Amino acid sequence: MLTRGERTSHKWRRRPDGPDKVTGALRYLTDMSLPGMLHGKVLRSAEPHAFVLDIRTAKAERVPGVAAVITHLDVPGLNRFGIVNPDQPVLCEDRVRYVGDAIAAVAADTKETAEYALSLIEVDYEPIPVVDDPELALLPESPKLHEGGNVLHRTSYRKGEPEDAFAGCTHIVEGTYYTPRQMHAYMETEGGLFVPEADGRLTVYAATQHGYKDRMQLSRILGIPEEAIRIVSSPIGGSFGGKDELNVQPYGALLARKAGIPVKLHNSRRESVRAGLKRHPMKIVMKTGIDGEGRLIAHEARITADTGAYSTLGAPVLNFATEHASGPYRIPHVSIEGVSVFTNNGVSGEFRGFGGNQAIFAVESQMNRLAELAGMDPWEFRRLNLREPDDPGPLGQRILPSAGLLKAWQSIADSEVWSRRTRKPTESEPWIKRGVGAALAMHGSGLGYGIPDPGGGRLSLTKEGKLEAAFSFEEFGQGITATLELMLMERFGCGADDLSIVIGDTDRVPHTGSSTASRSTTIAHIALSKLHPQLSERLIAGASAMAGVAAERLMTGPGGIWIKPDDDSGSSLAATYKELAETLGGELAFETKFDFPVTPDPIVGGHYLYTCAAVAVEAEINTLTGAVRLLAKHHAVAAGPAVNPMGYIGQIEGASVMAQGFTLTEDALMLDGHYKTENLDNYIVPTIRDVADDFTLHAIEELPEGDPYGPRGIGEVGSVALAPAIAMAVRDAVGKWVNRLPIPREELIESFASQLAGKTEGAGAT
Amino acid sequence: MNPYTWRAVVNGAEAELHVQPAERLLTILRDDLGLTGTKVSCELGRCGSCIVHMDGRPVNACLVMAYQCNGASITTIEGLAEGDLHKVQEAFLEEGGFQCGYCTPGMIMSVKALLDETPNPTTDQIKEGLSGNICRCTGYGGILRAVKRCGGNASK
Ligand code: FES
Ligand code: FES
Repeated sequence: MLTRGERTSHKWRRRPDGPDKVTGALRYLTDMSLPGMLHGKVLRSAEPHAFVLDIRTAKAERVPGVAAVITHLDVPGLNRFGIVNPDQPVLCEDRVRYVGDAIAAVAADTKETAEYALSLIEVDYEPIPVVDDPELALLPESPKLHEGGNVLHRTSYRKGEPEDAFAGCTHIVEGTYYTPRQMHAYMETEGGLFVPEADGRLTVYAATQHGYKDRMQLSRILGIPEEAIRIVSSPIGGSFGGKDELNVQPYGALLARKAGIPVKLHNSRRESVRAGLKRHPMKIVMKTGIDGEGRLIAHEARITADTGAYSTLGAPVLNFATEHASGPYRIPHVSIEGVSVFTNNGVSGEFRGFGGNQAIFAVESQMNRLAELAGMDPWEFRRLNLREPDDPGPLGQRILPSAGLLKAWQSIADSEVWSRRTRKPTESEPWIKRGVGAALAMHGSGLGYGIPDPGGGRLSLTKEGKLEAAFSFEEFGQGITATLELMLMERFGCGADDLSIVIGDTDRVPHTGSSTASRSTTIAHIALSKLHPQLSERLIAGASAMAGVAAERLMTGPGGIWIKPDDDSGSSLAATYKELAETLGGELAFETKFDFPVTPDPIVGGHYLYTCAAVAVEAEINTLTGAVRLLAKHHAVAAGPAVNPMGYIGQIEGASVMAQGFTLTEDALMLDGHYKTENLDNYIVPTIRDVADDFTLHAIEELPEGDPYGPRGIGEVGSVALAPAIAMAVRDAVGKWVNRLPIPREELIESFASQLAGKTEGAGAT
Repeated sequence: MNPYTWRAVVNGAEAELHVQPAERLLTILRDDLGLTGTKVSCELGRCGSCIVHMDGRPVNACLVMAYQCNGASITTIEGLAEGDLHKVQEAFLEEGGFQCGYCTPGMIMSVKALLDETPNPTTDQIKEGLSGNICRCTGYGGILRAVKRCGGNASK
């Protein structure tokens, strides 16, 4: 099990960003301020769907203290944003499509003045019928949100002849599954500081998961060259995908440039809920058949995703859901179709797990039902149908073979939690029922085939004598700085104080892609594997010349280059990094560029590297209240070496509790296009009281022989399989199938009378 | 200028400000005094990001108005440690009790308040004491381990 202990002690390190975090000294980008700065506020649409007939700002402009008011007329460049397909208005011209659409923004000397001025902006709307159901949105008579209609994207994957194959199946299960509009609920809401510099450039201090992408998008909006913009995007108080797309940056940038004064923006929680991304709610209809021995024969899935008003990454999310809708199984006949539909329900986008969570809940639930029909143990049923390492990937593409899946399966089979499925303790009260469940998944890393996914990195000896690694990653809690530190210390044998790690600043780092899709650790590993030998060789050559010692006898170490110990002497320092830097007279830098590994087969979105994971849970259901309490969790994750064990454990624990919220309590409810859950009082995020007391993590660290890709990302995989495991536990405990998340408590409630009756019967009374 | 004068002892130092009587302590700390270690997240008393101590007891700074804390002694995360790190801060570092760190100041102030009252809390007492602090990153595992390291009794 991966815990703090002897095996991990040499890698168990305090995070470099830790001291500033525990003392409150760390300045997040929303903590920054400058003397004389203005405060910005954004006017969001009052209507979920309407034509905008007129926007009048004169009264707002006259408020003393107001320095700038902007509308669409003030956008010099492209009045649109969106990572893939820019279709979201920065400031709406003539139409709004969700309640987060921005219409105007104000910068004033105080927040209160800015808010007051916003209240004076008059907008005339002509409402359009609200399209709030993706299936209705597909009907020809529905109002169309966009010129191209209400379909953002369709997917389909097919192999074999599923329609015919069902005829030969012994058992068929048909199920319809619904998943919630989960909110990222990062504790730091969106915001930042926007500074027009004296030289005409603009510095943006605002969270994102891809600084260079923000720079490109802002340059397009502002109509200025990318080089005229500097994005400082780290540190971040949580993101989980939610800050990947632009949020307040366009308004801060436009206001600051118009006023010529730094502007600060910081969303309130309500503003964040209203404008921010959510996880795609999906309806997934599945039909799956097996033969008499329990072997999977045919599988059909129809996915309908509510993508909300604009594209952002809705299409890639649907691709990902499609790829993950058949699970890690051998199925000869498959048909999967997906459609991502525009509605007036907020904007759905990128979120930890990226469409996998929804699909995996559905397909694993199908497996649970089929196993029961086949009269098999659900875990043995999965073993029987498990894909083999050399099988093609779920879209028929070649993937890197790995033994991780079987090991993850085995970990559950051997786990204490799973063993309690058959050895049930007696319940204390008749209305408390216990159950055990488990689920299995593989989850792709990287952006997938056909999507530009550039990686790289820079490694240098600075003028000051530091070993410096630079990547365009952001630190939003995942511990990338700690992981980089550990990777560098291991390679150079150096100390933490020999290092400088630079991230999250487009003026100071090369373009190494986004901090998304569980890709950063792999990118860092590949980059350092290329760069470390180059730098280290030059350092050793330099020290060899300085000290007059043969290069073979030298090695990098703490503080500098050391002469290796021989029989009669211990090691001694040949040259410090500082001396080397002085002798070399300037920076010594190496840079590399490469793409994240993808499948060689041209299947858009298809992945090559997968992380495999499984989880078993023990749950207790109170049938009087319908509450589900988790008692124990066992996670198995096959992701290669745990470079940073503290970070690894934390990522799995955190993702698991987030998935618990997805399964049991979290849903951003909307009615007629308006949010009903507007803050954390009725959007229910798990608290420490909801944590299972018994948690074990089995990190399966073996990689295939000669594997060049190193540790796989683990940021998402802890979140993908918990929901179906809980669903299985609920079935085990109370005999009910779950097909909707969060699990409606009312469905688990049984009348007290019937329970008493049950108890009486059980006790053998008349 | 605001006619209302707010006086308090903040992290051991006297502070005097002219503010609205209904201005929130959270805004006073973050915006007027520049003490941004106290965080803002829900502004309705749910998340605990803004927990500070008022006369030694934990309060949600987003719910306390200037007139309610006039004359009080306020301790924020910046004032927790005297010199070196406080043992709760040390424990959070050692056990990985944080990731993004945004909930951390409020969480640590709640842990401090819990341990002041109950030096050796059981798991149930820890859960009760920290149920007003949301952490979205850690899943609370590292936080529980950190509190237990500080004296929490690992059984029960
Ligand atoms: S900001 Fe005060 S409790 Fe959330
Ligand atoms: S560490 Fe990010 S919210 Fe707790």
